[in-house]
Amino acid sequence: MSDKRHDPAEPGKKGVSRREFATKAGVTAVGACYAAAFGYPIFRYLASPARTYAEMAAITEVPIPREKVPGPGSALMFRFGTRPTMLIHHEDGSMVCFDAVCTHLGCTVQFQPEEKRIHCACHGGTYDMNTGKNIAGPPPKPLTPYQVEVTDEQILIKRA
Amino acid sequence: MNYPVWDVPIIGSGWVIGGIAIFHILVSHFAIGGGFYLPMAEAKALREGRDDWMEVIRGHAKFFLVLTLVFGAVTGVAIWFSIGLASPEGTSTLIHNFVFAWAIEWIFFTVEITASIVYYYTWGKIDDKLHIRIGWIYAVSAWLSLVVINGILTFMLTPGGAWLSVAGTGMEADKFWQAWLNPTYFPSAALRTLICIALAGVWALVTASRIDGFKHPELKKGVIRWSALWLLPAFVALPFCFGWYLYMVPESRLALLQLGISNIGAGTFTQVTRTGLVTVITSATIAAVVYFIAWRNPRDFGFGHACAVLFLALAATASTEYGRELLRKPYVIANHMYSNGVRKSQVEGFNQDGYLTNTIWLRAEERARLKQARGSGDESLVVGELMFRGQCMACHTRDGYRPMRQFLAGRDHESIGNILKMLHDHSEDSPYYKFMPPLVGTADEIKGLNDFLYELVKPAPEVVAAAQ
Amino acid sequence: MGTTVLDWLDERLGLKDIVAFAKKKTVPDHKYSFWYYWGGISLFFFIVQVVSGILLLMYYQPGPNAYDSVRQITYEVDFGWLIRSAHSWSANLMILALFIHMFSVFFMKAYRRPREFGWWSGLTLLGLTMVFGFSGYLLPMDELAYFATKVGLELPKTLPGVGAVITELVQGGPEIGSTTIQRFFSLHVVILPLLYIPILALHLWLVQKHGNAIPESEAAKPESERRSIPFFPNFLTKDLAMWLIALNVLAIMASMFPWQLGPQADSLAPAPEGIHPEWYFMSQFQALKVLGEVFTGKLAIVGEYLGIGGFTLGGILWALIPFYDHDSKNGRRARNATYIGLAALVGLMVLTIWGYVGVS
Repeated sequence: MSDKRHDPAEPGKKGVSRREFATKAGVTAVGACYAAAFGYPIFRYLASPARTYAEMAAITEVPIPREKVPGPGSALMFRFGTRPTMLIHHEDGSMVCFDAVCTHLGCTVQFQPEEKRIHCACHGGTYDMNTGKNIAGPPPKPLTPYQVEVTDEQILIKRA
Repeated sequence: MNYPVWDVPIIGSGWVIGGIAIFHILVSHFAIGGGFYLPMAEAKALREGRDDWMEVIRGHAKFFLVLTLVFGAVTGVAIWFSIGLASPEGTSTLIHNFVFAWAIEWIFFTVEITASIVYYYTWGKIDDKLHIRIGWIYAVSAWLSLVVINGILTFMLTPGGAWLSVAGTGMEADKFWQAWLNPTYFPSAALRTLICIALAGVWALVTASRIDGFKHPELKKGVIRWSALWLLPAFVALPFCFGWYLYMVPESRLALLQLGISNIGAGTFTQVTRTGLVTVITSATIAAVVYFIAWRNPRDFGFGHACAVLFLALAATASTEYGRELLRKPYVIANHMYSNGVRKSQVEGFNQDGYLTNTIWLRAEERARLKQARGSGDESLVVGELMFRGQCMACHTRDGYRPMRQFLAGRDHESIGNILKMLHDHSEDSPYYKFMPPLVGTADEIKGLNDFLYELVKPAPEVVAAAQ
Repeated sequence: MGTTVLDWLDERLGLKDIVAFAKKKTVPDHKYSFWYYWGGISLFFFIVQVVSGILLLMYYQPGPNAYDSVRQITYEVDFGWLIRSAHSWSANLMILALFIHMFSVFFMKAYRRPREFGWWSGLTLLGLTMVFGFSGYLLPMDELAYFATKVGLELPKTLPGVGAVITELVQGGPEIGSTTIQRFFSLHVVILPLLYIPILALHLWLVQKHGNAIPESEAAKPESERRSIPFFPNFLTKDLAMWLIALNVLAIMASMFPWQLGPQADSLAPAPEGIHPEWYFMSQFQALKVLGEVFTGKLAIVGEYLGIGGFTLGGILWALIPFYDHDSKNGRRARNATYIGLAALVGLMVLTIWGYVGVS
């Protein structure tokens, strides 16, 4: 085992040999790879947008002013706390409101009036536009409905 | 026995093949790489007049003989038994096409076995040059057996246009050469050869780690460093060969891989991504451990380290092979036969005339049971169970691997029906299109499957009562 | 420039002394050296526990939101599933490594004079780790966690007299609920670490003070035939290689078999079939179950006392082994200690496997 020739402490020898430099560079590169492999997931983890459930639980109703209410046959997307929510104004004048998060894998759903359905573009989940029931595709559960209270000046959305 | 549909609880029939095959690959690739290692090491030792090396190599040869002849050969045959049980339709297609390939492979295999026995038992008894030549006969015949089998393995992922154009006409065997020398044949042969060489090094490190580094520091250092070099070609060339391989795989089969890559950033990994990462992580660790300990401190490279490297090699091999199998989804023979044995050309017919009435994989007793249930209240459930056995169980189990009970938990009858409808329609925008075969059968049969699956997951009656 | 910084630090912290000391320190090298790594591997998993645990704390909310916050970590936060899986898997792997470490120490007779305190501090750490595991298992508050904890808490409940009181104190009420989570949480992230870290420090200091014990086959050899390697850099490199391999095992487990989250716990729902505590409590659980089948009716309580008493007594005797087998001079006692160790190992394994086979 004569590794003496690579000893950096060897007197009278300034600088580092090419081989030693290559080794050091290699070790540094491997170290950097590991640092990145750990650092990146941790950074993404910490940088994720967190929804605070306490905050959400505190909100029990959201008022929607009259002028913002969508016309018949269209829908309004708004946030109930932090959750995307959908208020649908049907052609017959009735209004229904659902949690707009697909029960399959959590994509936001959209109202498609011409198809008369609520649809999730991610995996093609389809819900009934009147009841929120899952009628086709992968979703396991219906959309959670909210209560809709109509007064003269505003629409009040409440937890059902 | 419940042939022809093999019901393996918990792990599913696929993992019976998987478990045997992964172990077989680790040993059989060593059998080939080691075939080159032995005569080369022996020639080197003779050239340099190193008697101490000869002792080590002889010990390695004995270990090699036992491991490859016993475990390699037994697991190889075991793969046959298990694939025949798990996928009779797919196995039958392979045999119909490649029976001569297997006959040729069998000849090389026989030569290989004979040569390895002769090589070991003539050690020191015959002329050195002749002995080394026997070693080379072994190495070449072992490698040729890989060359033959490789064509059959790659055929399943990329059968090639020529073969597919005659598939189902009875003229398939005419396209033997096109099917055998299919698009991924050469990159795969290169990949596997590199893996063979690397595994020869890994297993040699196991033998070398047992040399007493205090008594024979120079011997241990020499053998370990020389063996470690065998890993080098793989680490340099594997990425390129892998790129070549992927380049030859048709775009449609890469969909799963692309889906996996597109999701890496946010950390939602697909199964393919996970297996790919395991390969990368374990290969990197092998490189680090072999360099920092085996190369830099050969004396300290102990049996534990060697076993750990072997374990990592096993993990890398297993995840690579698993990933390769995943790429083939939803087919067992790409663009021809789905993983549950249903041919693409049969889908229409099964949908019109019924799956259970036309499938050949139903035993007489099962047909009798079906007949008996006709008209009774159980009919739909019996139909459903037979549909499940025939079409789902190739990949799913009730409670173990890819468990239906867990996947469908919390769903009601209708939402299970929604999924079955998507599987049946098999349209290109369905989320299951890329990895699941179409569900075939008449409306009644699918309703039966729906009833059967709902029976599996429906909540216990007392809970329903309490909830109302 | 690197050297200047190093010199600056060395002048103030005496780094070179530490390196010189580590270079002088040696670790015995023989055919059983492999077993020396398991303490280090346990330590590695402990470090992973601390880091991943702190990361989980960034999102976890004890109390009524517990389940939802774990669901969020698992399914919504980027890489959350990975951090959570790494935490759960390294917990299990750490306990496994600790058991291997304990038995290898036992069979190398490393508890003998003067290493008794190393043995006792190690056993305390193992006990605390198991409490860590038990308290952490409930925190996601899914169905499995809830019922496994419920089953686990049946154990202290059967203690004569004080059982019910202790159980209620731990639960913070007559039933497992959000107060229980709060208590288990404070136990898991405050009380246990406060106890653990000083004992771990003592344990490591004792290992450093007394050095590695050598097995009898080595001790019997003349001094000249015994070998050792320098701690720095040789043993450390080997140790780090083992850590790297342990990290690989962890990465494979965490990414290929990510920890699942079951449905939210519902105390009204019936317990799932075959519910049992985590594998490291399986032997005790199974012993009680078997005794429960032997002693039925009015005798049931006898069976429970016998089970709990047996395990407690066994644990105490296990801890007291250094007093029985205190040096290598008495060959008979040394042999008996080996038999005791084998019996304990086989007993635990048989009960654990029996528990799993019996369940399914």
